Amino acid sequence: MLYVVLFFLIFSLYLYVVLGGADYGAGIVELFSSEENQKITKKTIYRVMGPVWEANHIWIIILIVILWIAFPSYYNILVVYLHIPLTIVLLGVTLRGVAFVFRHYDAIIDNSQRLYDTLFKISSLITPIFLGMVFGGLISGEIVMVEDIETLTFYEVFINPWFNIFSILVGLFFASLCAFLSSVLLIGESESVHENIYIRKAAIATIVVFIVGLITFIYGYGAAHVFVKDFIKNPYSLISMLFSGLLLIPLWIAIKKGRRVLSRFFAGLQVFLILLAAIVAHFPGIIITKSENISLLENIAPESVIKVLGISLIIGGSVILPGLFHLLKSFKMIKILDRKDNPSA
Amino acid sequence: MENLDAARLQMAFTLIFHIVFACIGMVMPFFMVVSHYKWLKTKDQLYLTLTKSWQKGVAIFFVTGAVSGTALSFELGLLWPEFMKHAGPIIGMPFSLEGAAFFVEAIALGFYLYGWDKLPEKFHWFTGVIIGISGVASGVLVVAANGWMNAPSGFDYIDGQFLNIDPVQAMLNAAWATQALHMTLAAFTATGFAVAGIHAYQVYKGRKVALHTKAFKIAITFGAIAAILQPISGDLSAKDIAKRQPVKLAAMEAHYNTEKGAPLYIGGIVNAETQEVKYKVAIPKALSFLAFGDFDAEVKGLNDFPEDERPNVPMVHYAFQVMVGIGGLLLLAGILYFISIKKKKWLHMNVYWLLFVFLAPLGFIALEAGWIVTEVGRQPWIIHKIMRTKDAVTPMPGIIVSFYIYIVVYFTLSVAVTWLMTRQIKVLNSSK
Repeated sequence: MLYVVLFFLIFSLYLYVVLGGADYGAGIVELFSSEENQKITKKTIYRVMGPVWEANHIWIIILIVILWIAFPSYYNILVVYLHIPLTIVLLGVTLRGVAFVFRHYDAIIDNSQRLYDTLFKISSLITPIFLGMVFGGLISGEIVMVEDIETLTFYEVFINPWFNIFSILVGLFFASLCAFLSSVLLIGESESVHENIYIRKAAIATIVVFIVGLITFIYGYGAAHVFVKDFIKNPYSLISMLFSGLLLIPLWIAIKKGRRVLSRFFAGLQVFLILLAAIVAHFPGIIITKSENISLLENIAPESVIKVLGISLIIGGSVILPGLFHLLKSFKMIKILDRKDNPSA
Repeated sequence: MENLDAARLQMAFTLIFHIVFACIGMVMPFFMVVSHYKWLKTKDQLYLTLTKSWQKGVAIFFVTGAVSGTALSFELGLLWPEFMKHAGPIIGMPFSLEGAAFFVEAIALGFYLYGWDKLPEKFHWFTGVIIGISGVASGVLVVAANGWMNAPSGFDYIDGQFLNIDPVQAMLNAAWATQALHMTLAAFTATGFAVAGIHAYQVYKGRKVALHTKAFKIAITFGAIAAILQPISGDLSAKDIAKRQPVKLAAMEAHYNTEKGAPLYIGGIVNAETQEVKYKVAIPKALSFLAFGDFDAEVKGLNDFPEDERPNVPMVHYAFQVMVGIGGLLLLAGILYFISIKKKKWLHMNVYWLLFVFLAPLGFIALEAGWIVTEVGRQPWIIHKIMRTKDAVTPMPGIIVSFYIYIVVYFTLSVAVTWLMTRQIKVLNSSK
């Protein structure tokens, strides 16, 4: 059953990164667009994300619940030492969700739209950066775990683990990944006249992802980060990264040929490979502190708990996944209908 | 302020906000589908306008409820890491099921909001029903986790360790059924009266009277039925607490000394130092009867419990009085509404509508007071008789800062949501 639980943990992490990530990315793309393009993007985002964005963000709740039920000690480190960036993420999630709904459900359209838009765009950028910083913090080797916290300064224990160059780079990397995912998604969703906007965005995002990724590695290597060193030594991680890079070629061919489902599949696969590379690089010691590696598989919940959780996840999954699939499929259908009924839309 | 107090305040405030958003998001879908059903049956355009207006409310409250709920799922760990470390695996099951129910709700909401004129009529309506049912399921499941804190079960506590964990038994803890019933009815009462009150105000002002009267009737019917049923559930809860958490019952009643045939205090000012309750109305033997169904039963007083195991008595007592007082008032108002169905001329009296305007916020005040009773009444324990709240709090100092940030954000959010609702109503009133 532990494997079922692990599967759902990684599965929901992946879906959150891809679906939630594309969702954050939409705001980032909007932020870095000209005023005119912002309007187009806003409309497209609403149409694409409207029905599904709430579902996209539930994956993080599933993720966190699995963590605290099955891996309580691991979760404990996360919430104690990375309290501050997690709180910022929460505020970001809150403001962003509220701004998204306000700008589409406010009964009167007036100047307050500007406020909602700004809030939406800024929090769309900041939230994934801090999420990335949390992950960066876990693997940064900067967490100090001591029995007697008072012997150290507040900065050493609660700030340095996430507020260091390596963690910040990981944060920026994740945000650019979000922008990349979203641009690829939006290519297929925009009207054909606007497609080029997102093709350009996708190209820029790809370059940014590559550059930030490279800087992270060079910096990590130079600073002798345990994670980066092990990453480079791990053949699986390297192969995954290599494949992820090579997939750029079929991805661009698919985009040029206007194959929107295929292009999304490639982009999703690329992100999966990047995530896989990061996870296997140091598995199961996913938390790297100053003094030790903490294994995800140590101090797990008792067998009885894992068993019940595994069964719940299988049952829950078999209810939710078909429903979600149907939702995604239905609204694609509806979009096609939209175009037929109303050619100007 | 100490870190513990700051953490407790932050938890309390975020819960207070979340509960309002979550209850409305959980109950309003029912109003919406009733109105939708009437539209399908009667093809009266007013019901369609109303349904579409309510669905926007549902969407806004669903999101604020969802994001504040996401925040809470993290805050449990951020503020109480020691609690979650041990309790997480034990009470994880209702949380994971709640996550599933919530997911179903989000999917159904996606179908409902975007499905107008696109999905088959009946299926579209049915997705609205699913929103409501899964919303209530989420609420009921999350209360199971709180019930476990009051009635911990499903493990053996040996030498400070939680052994032989049985998550199913933990979920089916002794407090769950009574608490979940009480909370569900409270959610319907509070939301019913709040929504009805808003529409009553519009009728009172003479705006779109036909539309707002229809809205009022749907909302108040739910609220009134729930308010009339609530005393039965309250009685079950009281008897349950008398058995399981006698110290909480004693605090609710500011009952200091153990006695047989204990009186019930209504109101009163509690002096915790002298253990006196002034200006109360005492009903002889009523507490014994309500708690144990026997006028001469012995009710344990606070002094029978160690001093460091007692909650803040005045706060619990006052909160309990507020809850019961308002509950009684809403019960009467509920009966009044059902009489008014026969007495049609009341609907033309301003005072009738003003009464319901006045009652609008009371349900939520009672609901929050009820949570204060159950949460403050459980102190100093976070897990009744197992773990103290002070042993669960985060080691990170400076929680007060995050408390202030949360206050500002949630307060702004509440103002914004209220403002948005007034704009909805404005547009609704100016619609054709």
